[in-house]
Amino acid sequence: MFTPYAVLLVLFAIVPIGLAFSTSLKPSLANPEGGFANYLFVINDFRFWPAVINISTFLAIYLPSMVIVVASLSLLLDAIKSRWSVPLRLAYLVPASITGAVAILVWYFMLEPKFSPFKGILLELGLTSGSQIFAQTKLVWVFALMAFFTGAGNWIVIQYGSLQSISEDILEAAKIDGANVFQTALQIKLPLIRKYLIYMTILTFAAGLQIFVEPYLLSSSVYPNIARDWSLNQLSYSLAFSGANLGAATALSLMLLLVCVIAALLVIFRTDFFDEARMKED
Amino acid sequence: MPSRTYVSVSDRIQRAVRSVAGKLLLWTSLIVFAVFSVVPMLWLILAPSKTQTELIDLDPLAFGSFAGYVNSWNNLMVFQDGRIITWVFNSIWYTTIIVIIACGSALLAGYALAATRLPFRKPLLIVTLVAMIVPPVAFVLPLFVQISSLGLYNSPWAIILTGSFYPFGVFLAYIYFSTTIPHELYDAARIDGAGEWGTFFRIAMPLSTGLLGMLGFFAFTANWVNFFLPYVMVNTGELLTLPVGLGILFSSTPALNPGVGANSSPIRGPEIALAGLMVAIPILLVFLASARLIVRGVLSGSVKS
Amino acid sequence: MHKIISVPIAIASILTLAACAGAGSSGGSTDSSTGTTALQDSPRELLIWVDIVREPAAKMYAEKMAGEIDVTVEVVAQEEMLPKIALANQTGSGWPDLLFAPPNDIAIWADASNGYALALDDYLDPSIIEGYEGSNDWCLIEGQYYCLKNDLAQTVLWYDTVLFDELGLTIPTTFSEFSTEAMKLKGTGYVAGAIGDQGFYSGYLWPSGCPMTSVQDGTTVRINPDTPECSRVWKEIQPLVDAGVLDTRSAFDAGFIADVANAGKVAMHIGPSWWGEFVIRPADSWGIEAGRISAAPMPKWSGESINYSGEWGGGIWAVSSNAVNPQDAVDAIVYLATSVEVAKDGVTFPGFKPAYEAWSARLDADPYYAISPVAAMKSQASKIRQTEKPVRFNAQGQIGATLQAGLNGGETVEKSVRSFLDSLQQLAPGGGYTVID
Repeated sequence: MFTPYAVLLVLFAIVPIGLAFSTSLKPSLANPEGGFANYLFVINDFRFWPAVINISTFLAIYLPSMVIVVASLSLLLDAIKSRWSVPLRLAYLVPASITGAVAILVWYFMLEPKFSPFKGILLELGLTSGSQIFAQTKLVWVFALMAFFTGAGNWIVIQYGSLQSISEDILEAAKIDGANVFQTALQIKLPLIRKYLIYMTILTFAAGLQIFVEPYLLSSSVYPNIARDWSLNQLSYSLAFSGANLGAATALSLMLLLVCVIAALLVIFRTDFFDEARMKED
Repeated sequence: MPSRTYVSVSDRIQRAVRSVAGKLLLWTSLIVFAVFSVVPMLWLILAPSKTQTELIDLDPLAFGSFAGYVNSWNNLMVFQDGRIITWVFNSIWYTTIIVIIACGSALLAGYALAATRLPFRKPLLIVTLVAMIVPPVAFVLPLFVQISSLGLYNSPWAIILTGSFYPFGVFLAYIYFSTTIPHELYDAARIDGAGEWGTFFRIAMPLSTGLLGMLGFFAFTANWVNFFLPYVMVNTGELLTLPVGLGILFSSTPALNPGVGANSSPIRGPEIALAGLMVAIPILLVFLASARLIVRGVLSGSVKS
Repeated sequence: MHKIISVPIAIASILTLAACAGAGSSGGSTDSSTGTTALQDSPRELLIWVDIVREPAAKMYAEKMAGEIDVTVEVVAQEEMLPKIALANQTGSGWPDLLFAPPNDIAIWADASNGYALALDDYLDPSIIEGYEGSNDWCLIEGQYYCLKNDLAQTVLWYDTVLFDELGLTIPTTFSEFSTEAMKLKGTGYVAGAIGDQGFYSGYLWPSGCPMTSVQDGTTVRINPDTPECSRVWKEIQPLVDAGVLDTRSAFDAGFIADVANAGKVAMHIGPSWWGEFVIRPADSWGIEAGRISAAPMPKWSGESINYSGEWGGGIWAVSSNAVNPQDAVDAIVYLATSVEVAKDGVTFPGFKPAYEAWSARLDADPYYAISPVAAMKSQASKIRQTEKPVRFNAQGQIGATLQAGLNGGETVEKSVRSFLDSLQQLAPGGGYTVID
């Protein structure tokens, strides 16, 4: 019964990692010796550290804003206890369908002052021309904005859902104690959804680390190659298919994978999120 | 636990005043965020109703005309003699097969983990959890190496088989079968002499329609929009999917980059928006229809409905 | 226990299935792209990859050959050609028989480490190379021709004759005159061009001879920002940027087009030969009305005896060394690159002489131009500076990533140029080059 999935697991997760590892030791024009030097080659590539900085800045903007906005909006949504929360929740889900290629398309038009419905806001911010926004120093904000809107609404609805599971007794007790809405939210509800927020943060961290489509496609827009090799995954792609160095490319890809696996193990063993799943053992 | 605080009457009055301002702030934040969420989609829906000139000159959220949609569609069809139809068709059938294989294998594996005496259950479960948290993009290059060594490169199966690996689905099914169906039911069936397959089909399957909906939802949404994987797995334009096709329209038409041929193609803003809409709309509809499934699915690790 | 045993069996069965699927797609009748097996009695096939501009010509060829050769035309973006060929090399299948690509790519494909491009010498009629009168030398690598130039994209000075009259400007013949004329526009809202894109590389740095991809021999490339050929460019241009008479946006930027170009505020603009038909004229681009535009020869950099051009574009046609019928593929690129019927209606300046004659006759007769730009184009065609050569690393990508990004982002001209050259110096060893100053 487990077999079909096991086959997929072996063929498309475990074996590829093994193959990638042996590929990552292969020689190339740049490193005819091959071997672990490929890993060093990647780290010494002039695009590696800028990409690390880009990704770190991106995550430093993206993750906290996700946590803050998702936590506060789901708490607010929970606080209103109104039938209006249904259409609001549906509205928040809308941007989840604007991902990847569609996100670049839509946000290009949202951020180019000549086309934007938010023109007024952009002009207020002193942004009169697309080239001011799609400038290398500001790209990190653009990608963070896209990633944020793609993910935030989804998670607001999910966290709102988790707030619904808080028992009425606890909330009632708080009310009797005289806690106001604000206090209840901060002192009772927030701690109770903390673990879901941590879970969300680690998932978004893993996904954010791997950003590829958005910078890749923006580079084929009006500003050709503007975000070339902006993210680590793009660099890995460039090394593989533009630098003919599949060894270094898979080396980088495996390093990224390793970070994600560590993040995954952290969730599994260091948080209580999957306790239910693990505790059922033996 | 709630911190107990003593509250006086005057505090209550003060609080009432503050709560009006608070309510106002609360509703404003909620509504502003809703507006920012909806406007981009609204723009995307309206854009194909206009011509390129109208797209620049009219208000960004103005409606052009219904004929505008037809016109945009006709222009889109000019690209590679209607290649867009092939992409839509590919997207539909690849995604359908992926959803079937992914859900089928996940259902069985989840059941096996939850209700049968599977050897190495714990390590298998942990491997599955890891695979589920690591984003699929991380596997693209290793998968490319694997797919080319299997000789599957540039075939639909490269996309379908890689897309069918669905650890999240296995986890969902596992949680479902181990929490919502009492173990006694499985045991009873086994005592009656039903084999594992018999138990699965007689007991588990009939009770898992809700689970199937959830599995289908997550498998569909993840694969319909997938870009990087199909982009690397297939080289031929005829075999591509809609999101990758949209990427091609980006890079090879003047829609977003007039530098590639300002007057050599009718594909401009409205046409590319229409293509984008075709990617986004199915996801949007499925999302809106399944809002409750999302909550239950993602939090199934610890919240039981 | 037997579940575990059944795993290898299932793997084996999937592998078998995989093998079948693989075989099915490569031997299949509908899928010409894999094209590795040509059955004896099946019709000859050709797969062509082109950009959207060259698609009509490729389709014309498909129609012409219908019945004889089964031609499939696939639109692939120009910057995708390199990675897609690399993908095909990696997997050993999926190459197009011939393709249209950016000029720099040929150095990578001609090298043995890649090996996509076929040396054409054995398949070409000598009259073809002669017809180019030297302008196909770009494709000459280690003594063999690996491609045919589709067109020349030599830069010229485009100008608006009506504005020149109104504003009292004269056509500059040197870059210091260019500065003087441009400075007259200060504060008027008129500009002497936009430099925030590849145009700055091809219209300023390249003609000045700044060593960027200056290949010396198979393993040496000269890249050096600390030469007068580079520094004179930023010294001349920076004051014009500061004075606001050169826009640092791209000529394709939506804001530049709406605020400057559509408003008729571009007095002159150094740009390639296709600029007129492609950028200035189309209504949904700059949309400059008829009777205003013409082109003059390039201004000369001080101390030079020749007013050199650079190139922006000037794509090439190459043939796959894996083509089943190489002669068919070579015949196709000869048609696409040199035939009069393709070239005469094209946007770009044909590299092949007879095709160019037909093309220039059409342009000469076109009432759109106030004065025909053909003379300027023709005089610049032989003055494309030979310092820049195709290299085995992706120099093209770095123009957008560093030079354009710097200029658009408000960096100084010097800093943008330096970061561009710096990135080239870093990439060159990966292409097997030693960098010299």
